[in-house]
Amino acid sequence: MTLELVVASGKGGTGKTFISSNLAFYLNSKGTKAIAVDADVEAPDLALALGGIKEIKWEEKFYGKIVTIDYSRCIGCGSCVAVCRFNALNMENGKPVVDEDLCEGFGACALVCPVKAISFIDIERGYIYRGTTPVGLDVFTGDLHVGEKNSGLLVYNLKTMAREAAYREGFDIIVVDSAAGIGCPVISSISGADLLIIVVEPSKQSLKGALRLMDIADQLNTEAYVIVNKYDLNVNFYETIRREFGERIIGKISYNDIVVEAYARMTPLLKLYPDSKPTLEMIDAFNKILEEMRIR
Amino acid sequence: MIIAVGGGKGGTGKTVIAVNLAVYLANRNHKVALVDLDVDNPCTYTLLKADLRIVSHVYSFKPKIIEDKCSLCGKCVENCPLHALVLIPGKKLLFIETLCEGCGNCIIVCPQQAIVEGRSLLGKIMAGEYNNLKLVVGELKPGERKSDEVIDATLNYVLKVFNNYDYIILDIPPGTGRGVYQAFKPADLIVAVTEPTMLGLHDLIKLSKLIYSMKKKWIAVINKYGLPGGIYSKLKAFLEDKGVKYLLVPYDLNLVKAYMNGKTVIMEYPETESSKAIINLGEKIEKGEF
Repeated sequence: MTLELVVASGKGGTGKTFISSNLAFYLNSKGTKAIAVDADVEAPDLALALGGIKEIKWEEKFYGKIVTIDYSRCIGCGSCVAVCRFNALNMENGKPVVDEDLCEGFGACALVCPVKAISFIDIERGYIYRGTTPVGLDVFTGDLHVGEKNSGLLVYNLKTMAREAAYREGFDIIVVDSAAGIGCPVISSISGADLLIIVVEPSKQSLKGALRLMDIADQLNTEAYVIVNKYDLNVNFYETIRREFGERIIGKISYNDIVVEAYARMTPLLKLYPDSKPTLEMIDAFNKILEEMRIR
Repeated sequence: MIIAVGGGKGGTGKTVIAVNLAVYLANRNHKVALVDLDVDNPCTYTLLKADLRIVSHVYSFKPKIIEDKCSLCGKCVENCPLHALVLIPGKKLLFIETLCEGCGNCIIVCPQQAIVEGRSLLGKIMAGEYNNLKLVVGELKPGERKSDEVIDATLNYVLKVFNNYDYIILDIPPGTGRGVYQAFKPADLIVAVTEPTMLGLHDLIKLSKLIYSMKKKWIAVINKYGLPGGIYSKLKAFLEDKGVKYLLVPYDLNLVKAYMNGKTVIMEYPETESSKAIINLGEKIEKGEF
């Protein structure tokens, strides 16, 4: 069976991609067959942290539905505008106009149109693909077109593809790098996962996000652990976090400029500086996670 | 003037820039409202330590079924695009709330008027003050998915209540999706905060596509300038190629320290390099340079 592990944070910029790229790399390098999923489809960066995509193995477009108006039939009665709950229809010069960015394609307008002037069309909303990275790890990633909604659905599709591939090709573990926040794409990222790793940094802002995320994990019945990143930037506040999460804290990683350097060089820290302090702290946390999942 | 502070990638420093800019402008005796639209995890108020009160709750539409009137005809089920309504033939109509996006098709098609307007709580809008700066915060209820609707409601509140203000500063959530699009809509100027990493650049390029599609005016702030190993030339080349003005906010441990302690750097360390850079941004905005 393939295990699914998701890395999330509530707040942006705490180090989700940093942790998930290194975790996937670590697993692969010690012989656990891992595959990575970048579920941050609005700002997908995981492949970059692993050196960029070398070759695309498979690609698929992601479509959504929107409505379109046949103006030869439209009588400009405005019924459609009145029932749209997404403000996607506006009257302009006596005729309704569709805002493609806001239209959800549910078609309440089509139901009420007295002259049947409204129909549906497919519109490309983004794409998902599987690529190989220079560190020998495959990444499933998606790219939602700017301004689009339905990122939760795109994440769901992405995870389904990764799960199917994992089943077919015998991967042991799927590492999911979640989007920031606690909204739709994040809930999609977490649902169905075996374990959630919450990355928190020692600031009130980050702790608050982590607590909100822990709340979601509890609602979804997902087991969750915490890694405190950059803990030495505010040791006092690290103690506050420790009091808050207690035994759920599975590791702490110190701050160092080489982390940024590894990012800039698009190489996992574990590969670039295998013996650095943050590397060793990270490996320690990863081993504890694996222990928890009993696949060591 | 409405200024949206966005950036695409998480953690580039959107909130730090937005909060410090708002504090600077308010200190200069302008009427300023700072609006936290990062509704998944709003954190402006931890930096400002403002006492907030709830000014409004945000609700989302959901259908309410009046069982006595329902004839179990199944019309609503046929017309529910997300299969949030399920019919057990002859027995019961079930509503699965987590699947519902609130299109209202069921109300339209029900021949018995057995489905009416109902609502569920999505989040809240809070407001408070920090000295003479007004703060408005939208917050999503954990477990709810409709961040965009809370963003919308918060914006509507702000545009109604603070329409005579000199500056409205919007703190935008990470990402480039619908929520960001909605939040950019009323903006006169977008300040895109980025960092000198490939990831920062990659997300900035994506964000710029959204900005151009919306035909908005924008400038960039390269935050954490001077971080070792940063990719300055690529970032500058991109911005210069696009003809976008940019400012540099130096990487400064005082800023990190202030942030980690929940304080604003321009109040804690007004003389530090990053404070000077943010003040410079504020001055340029005051002079109408953008």
